[in-house]
Amino acid sequence: MRNILLVLKKELYRVFSDKKLIISLFILPAVLMFGLYGLIGMLERNMSEDIETHVPVTYIVNATDGLKAAAAAAGFAQNASIDYLSEEAFLTMEGRLTEDLREGFADLIVVLDADFEDVFSAYQGQGDKIPGIQILFNSAENYSQQAYAVFSGVLETYRMMLLQERLGNLEQIVVFEQKDTEIVKEAKANSRFIATMFPYMIMIMLFSGAMSISVDAFAGEKERGTLASMLIAPVKRTDIAAGKVIALAIIAALSSVVYAVSMILAMTMMGNAMGGEGGFGGVSFSAGQILELGLMLIVVDYLFVAVIAVLSSVSKDVKSASTLVTPVYMVVLACALMTMFSGGAKNSLTRYAIPLYGNALALQDICTGELSAAGFLVSFGVTALLAAALTALLARIFDSDKLMFNA
Amino acid sequence: MISVQNLSKVYKLSAKKMKELKTSEGRKIAVSGVSFEARPGEIYGLLGPNGAGKTTTLRCIATLLKPTEGSVSVNGFDTVGEGEKVRGAIAFLTNEINLDPHFTPSYLFHFFGQLHGMTEEEIARRREELFTIFDIGGFADKKISELSTGMKQKAAIAVTLVHDPQVVIFDEPTSGLDILTARTVLDYLRELRDKGKTVVVSTHIMSEAEKLCDRIGILIGGKKVAEGTLQELLAETGTDDLEDAFFRLYKEYGEA
Repeated sequence: MRNILLVLKKELYRVFSDKKLIISLFILPAVLMFGLYGLIGMLERNMSEDIETHVPVTYIVNATDGLKAAAAAAGFAQNASIDYLSEEAFLTMEGRLTEDLREGFADLIVVLDADFEDVFSAYQGQGDKIPGIQILFNSAENYSQQAYAVFSGVLETYRMMLLQERLGNLEQIVVFEQKDTEIVKEAKANSRFIATMFPYMIMIMLFSGAMSISVDAFAGEKERGTLASMLIAPVKRTDIAAGKVIALAIIAALSSVVYAVSMILAMTMMGNAMGGEGGFGGVSFSAGQILELGLMLIVVDYLFVAVIAVLSSVSKDVKSASTLVTPVYMVVLACALMTMFSGGAKNSLTRYAIPLYGNALALQDICTGELSAAGFLVSFGVTALLAAALTALLARIFDSDKLMFNA
Repeated sequence: MISVQNLSKVYKLSAKKMKELKTSEGRKIAVSGVSFEARPGEIYGLLGPNGAGKTTTLRCIATLLKPTEGSVSVNGFDTVGEGEKVRGAIAFLTNEINLDPHFTPSYLFHFFGQLHGMTEEEIARRREELFTIFDIGGFADKKISELSTGMKQKAAIAVTLVHDPQVVIFDEPTSGLDILTARTVLDYLRELRDKGKTVVVSTHIMSEAEKLCDRIGILIGGKKVAEGTLQELLAETGTDDLEDAFFRLYKEYGEA
């Protein structure tokens, strides 16, 4: 145990005495997260404001007095630049206006049938002609999309006005009232967003954090010949393996905590900037959930470092280690991604026993408060056993002259 | 005391390595049937050209490689079954093992002292002694990455010797060193010999071996072809100096 602690202390000292490593592992990620999400929030807000304040360039052909009144009632007419065109005028300009719409110079063209009011008035019943309104908009342009959405409200107002005119009393068309009552588990509802995002984000961050330091700590040290200086000390190889892996797991965990906290704060900041969409508001975890989360993250983090350590130690150099580790990163990514698209069915214990995928599932279920004690024990136990086996394997690798010295 | 008995080390070659070496044989014999003893109070030199098996032999003594055949023991401890005890008794220095560039000589000296189970007082005393001999004080607190080759070598020697081992094994001890540092190292090896330590060095510098070693084993093609004091080797080969003796032996065994 003493030697494990000595090796562990050395590895921690190596990182915490190096300003460059501290900046790249702990400070830069936080700065980047805040910078990135802050920038996204600012740009998103600017974009929304720009769209909202934009004066839509609109052409209405054969506009009826009723439609004009509806546009005014819905507040559209006051905030838009509207050209009312006759059928003849429109026919001469149709090509240019359509081109303007395509190029983003115009936002909306509304064409009512030339005999709209006559047809409406002449309607007697089933089989009679119904007047038409054609709307042209550009779905690739934000301004046009916004104009279309707002004008749909105008048309709804106009529709109600015409129905009132035709039927006199709108109550005739109301056949039932719909009342929606939401029954939800509040904790689950609040944590839905975080439960979807968290396993994916944290697994990726943990693995990339572990990868950034562990490949060099094993393959790099082997390549530089510095690992051998430890191997000629009178220390058990398992002590060296465990000391290094635990130290790197601690560093990777701290780095990912910085990532996670920065991400949560930055996303909340971004959510607020965007008007409260998404984010982590309303989420609260019980002490039990926090404990489960902490233990699961520790064991997953240790597993990641152990996997990378084994692959790096059997590699000749950093380059070939990176080649070996990258496919594992892809597997971690896929496992984490799969939890984002899981259905509502309860997970079986067997699923929790699948390394990586089971961990991602367990993390998700901890967030929603749905992980059973058995599920936690299975996922935690299998991961811990696998991590311990990999540490033992690492010690065997350290003992192999073929793998350590290419003999 | 080091005892090497009938040591053989055979490397299996990968297909890539076979292609590199332009050979169809799937294995390479690095050392074959080598036996010798290095005793307390003597400097034993392993002399041979590149690829003769010197480094492989020393690595087997230092427990970094396992013999394919034969056995090696240090102070009575078997290098395979009692590796930890062997590592506790030796200092092993080779150019292929380097100090971690992220640390200072001071930190590494203290760290390896702790790994050898030394007390703070013992480490401080050894530090004072070795840092003075090798003139390390001026750069003791600089990172290894910032040091010159000579400084690194001095730091590596001091760190390797932190635990005052009974057996000292140096592979090419003066390689890459300037003349002054090389002299300091060689003088210190003599001092260790005079204190009753077992010292084994490998070298291909004949003059160094002549002046330094009490007994010399000559390796050619992975085999020990001659062994003895300088006088015994000269008498055996009928030559006047070690270089001529070596070439005589190389002509006889190396071109076979």
